[in-house]
Amino acid sequence: MIGYVCKYTPVEVFEAMGVEIRRIQPEVTNFNQADTLMHPNICSFTKSVLEDVLAGDYEGVVLTTCCDSIRRLYDVLKQQCPDKFLYLLDVPRKVNDFSTEMYRKNILDMVHAYEAFSGKTFDETVLKQLLERREAGQNLRTAPKNKASVHIGLMGARCSKGIIDLLENRGVDILFDMTCTGLKREFHVEPDNLLQAYAWQLLNQVPCLRMVKAVNRENYMEGFKDRLDGILYHTVQFCDNYAYEYTNLKQRLDIPLLMVETDATKQCEGQIRTRVEAFIESLKIAKGASIGKKSLKKAEDGKMYVLGIDSGSTSTNAVILNENKEIVAFDVVRTGAKSGESAERILAEILERAGLKREDISLIVSTGYGRVSIPFADENVTEISCHGRGAHYFNPDVRTILDIGGQDSKAIRLNENGEVVDFVMNDKCAAGTGRFLEMMARTLEMDISEMGPESLKWKEDIDISSMCSVFAESEVISLIALNKEKADIAHGLHKAIANKSYSLLKRVGLNETFMMTGGVAKNPGVVKAVEEKLGSKLFICKEPEIVGALGAALFGLDK
Amino acid sequence: MDYVKKYGELIKDKAGVKPERARSMIRLGLRAENARTKLLPNKEMPKAFRMLTHLAMKSVLKALDHPEKSCWTNIFAPVEIMQCFGLQCVSMECLSSFMSGFKIEDYLIDYAQNEGIASTLCSYHKNFIGGVDSGVLPKAAMSVTTSMICDGNINTFRHMEQKHQVESYVLDIPNTYSPEAERYVVGQLQELIELLETKTGQMLDMNELQAAIQRENESKEYYKAFLKEQKHRYYPNTMTLDLYMLFASHLNIGTQETLDFFKCLAEDVKTYPEFDGKGILWVHLMPYYQETLQQYMNYQEKYYIQACDLNLDYMEPLDAAHPLEALAKKMILNIYNGPYERKVEMIRHLVKEFQSDAVIHFCHWGCKQSSGGVMLLKEAMREENVPMLILDGDALDRRNSHDGQIKTRLQAFLELIDNIEEDKD
Repeated sequence: MIGYVCKYTPVEVFEAMGVEIRRIQPEVTNFNQADTLMHPNICSFTKSVLEDVLAGDYEGVVLTTCCDSIRRLYDVLKQQCPDKFLYLLDVPRKVNDFSTEMYRKNILDMVHAYEAFSGKTFDETVLKQLLERREAGQNLRTAPKNKASVHIGLMGARCSKGIIDLLENRGVDILFDMTCTGLKREFHVEPDNLLQAYAWQLLNQVPCLRMVKAVNRENYMEGFKDRLDGILYHTVQFCDNYAYEYTNLKQRLDIPLLMVETDATKQCEGQIRTRVEAFIESLKIAKGASIGKKSLKKAEDGKMYVLGIDSGSTSTNAVILNENKEIVAFDVVRTGAKSGESAERILAEILERAGLKREDISLIVSTGYGRVSIPFADENVTEISCHGRGAHYFNPDVRTILDIGGQDSKAIRLNENGEVVDFVMNDKCAAGTGRFLEMMARTLEMDISEMGPESLKWKEDIDISSMCSVFAESEVISLIALNKEKADIAHGLHKAIANKSYSLLKRVGLNETFMMTGGVAKNPGVVKAVEEKLGSKLFICKEPEIVGALGAALFGLDK
Repeated sequence: MDYVKKYGELIKDKAGVKPERARSMIRLGLRAENARTKLLPNKEMPKAFRMLTHLAMKSVLKALDHPEKSCWTNIFAPVEIMQCFGLQCVSMECLSSFMSGFKIEDYLIDYAQNEGIASTLCSYHKNFIGGVDSGVLPKAAMSVTTSMICDGNINTFRHMEQKHQVESYVLDIPNTYSPEAERYVVGQLQELIELLETKTGQMLDMNELQAAIQRENESKEYYKAFLKEQKHRYYPNTMTLDLYMLFASHLNIGTQETLDFFKCLAEDVKTYPEFDGKGILWVHLMPYYQETLQQYMNYQEKYYIQACDLNLDYMEPLDAAHPLEALAKKMILNIYNGPYERKVEMIRHLVKEFQSDAVIHFCHWGCKQSSGGVMLLKEAMREENVPMLILDGDALDRRNSHDGQIKTRLQAFLELIDNIEEDKD
């Protein structure tokens, strides 16, 4: 079997030689070999392909000159797999007579190389018959009917199957897939000029961003405009080409647009689940699609209680509300190695605090990273929607939320009803999160709770420039080596977090009133640094950690 | 007190409210620096490198003072043609380096990233995009770029065309040479010339282009003579000067001023003493601002950077009788185009030719084409018995290079090459 990656690959030519050729869709879990044979900062998809090819039993791999990372992948694979058929096909970036003629010749050169490698032969008549059969088949296809409540378009870099499953399992209809491999291969046969026409049609597909004429690609989705609710824009880590288009579309399109980045590994679905679900929730809310009401039983005392649980990476938080939206009890515990166990623990504790029994609770709504791992929850909602609801409960004037949790930081924009209008989250890197601060506190040999108050005593203004948590740690270590004061270093770290938060907030728009939620809001040093950077006060409620759990409980009361 | 940093802070303060004021401050700063280096030149700096410094500063100043007569390019663009139309070529890499020289790269890079540009993109591109989008850098008359070597070019200049209506011409350069490939590129060069003729209202004088190519050939001959002489002579340099070389070897190649510089370089080197240090061949970009590297490499005979491979990417003479074909070949056969093997072979050849004691490869943040092949080069250098150090960092964003890490790696590496010498003794 021959593997290929790029949509400009002349797949049908290999099929005409009776060769099985398949698009490489790697499902790897690590980059152990790629990081040593190439470099960690290479496009993650490329690294996945390297791992996959080294582990798989491909007869050969056909790559194209589609991007710098893939070109280098060819060089490395050629050295690693001398016995396989490895070919780098040069694909022009312009479509004109010269380039088509060159591409036709490049394809033929590749065919000759494969003939010499395999002993098989290429016959143009066979290709012609194959393309004719395909062309006849094209007319039979009909568009599937779908009654989904939300219709989205996929754009950007190639998506793994996991991402598409994630969308489809949430009842989302994917109206079109304009990612670099998402298009159908359709050709019109021109018998007198077979290869030239085939080469021309290959080059004339909807252009990917490597092509010179890849402008105004949004025109291709004109026909879907009446049904399109939003666009999921996917990029691959260290593939920079698509972010340009995203930047441009964000300014020009009037459709909700979510950008997600994955690293093309098997785990990547988990990396973006929260954002994708929150995006779908916000699209549903915008369409006024209701989730359906249940009639709920009441407790022994005739009242109704709802429990919200926020299972975060650092702490698990819970809130019980009664039907008047009054907080009956709340609790915060540290999340252990298993989020499910922490949830069991907090359930027992909060029921005791509230003086209620398990049966008294009408509905349990979970949120947070571990929301799907709580077996006793009736519903789950993303923490983004929950923070919006919770923030609105505490202060209806809030329009922008900065939530710094253990693992994530997010900026959320709300409308006057407390509904999420837009949000952005930090990338996968831990810099600027609660975990990052914990790590730094350890390096400074301070308790995390001391770090905030201590930093307010700073004297020397130190800049910590590294945004990466690994680099920042070594920067802190060298500051310690220079005998700098702990308070000054802590102040520098808090400023770095404030800078990172500020750019996150800027991306959703700086609208007052600002609120900060999450455990880090208890750190007065970070709060002060963010306020200085913003030039505005932050509203902080008494228990900033329970805002998400409270929001979850409020969603429960909606039922 | 760090006056540059202070001035940079003032520029950044202005950039947010009055970007054109920030630009004036940059021009003023450059003019002052140009005058300072003329009146009070660094005594260690050789004569030819003073000429080079002015060539570099003048190029950037021209582009900032008269953007309507400047053309944005990448460093591989056929500048010889644009020169014939009186356009000053300035590459986005060089513009970005100068912004970093003013210590304002963090502001411009953040500006681009906040717009949605990928943080993992090459810092030269992010800096340039942030510079133009924020209004700090002026819009050029047009842009001419090549598709080869770096993915960023097509997308960055397309962004400029979409956002700022700066017309862009992209030369698509095939990955390998064939007669068809040459025809394809020549066809594009003809199209480019027509575009330039329409835009400037001036016809291309083929004799002028041939003369430029002749000067280019002479310049390269002088450069080769310099490199040959430098094998056993110490001609003081700095990382910044090695990067300024790109203004001569690429952006202004073919001009009389550049020819004069290379001539001076070839003659001046003969007046310098015999060399008794370690010769280092530098591969890829240089973090010119990095303190530890400056301390070990700038004006230091003990560890001497013999050359940076970027300046040696195409050293063959061009056929002046067929200028378009020659320029097409120059781009297709550039050492960085095509498989990585070609670059490996060139570095193999250079370490032998220069009798280099070591190779340092700098993996610049965001540059996939160089980082992706670095282990292949390392393997080849192992075969050649030449120690090679791989440094990770950023050639212009100070936040992505960490001094502590670079220092440990560099010092250990220099200890290692010193020991090799002792073992030989």
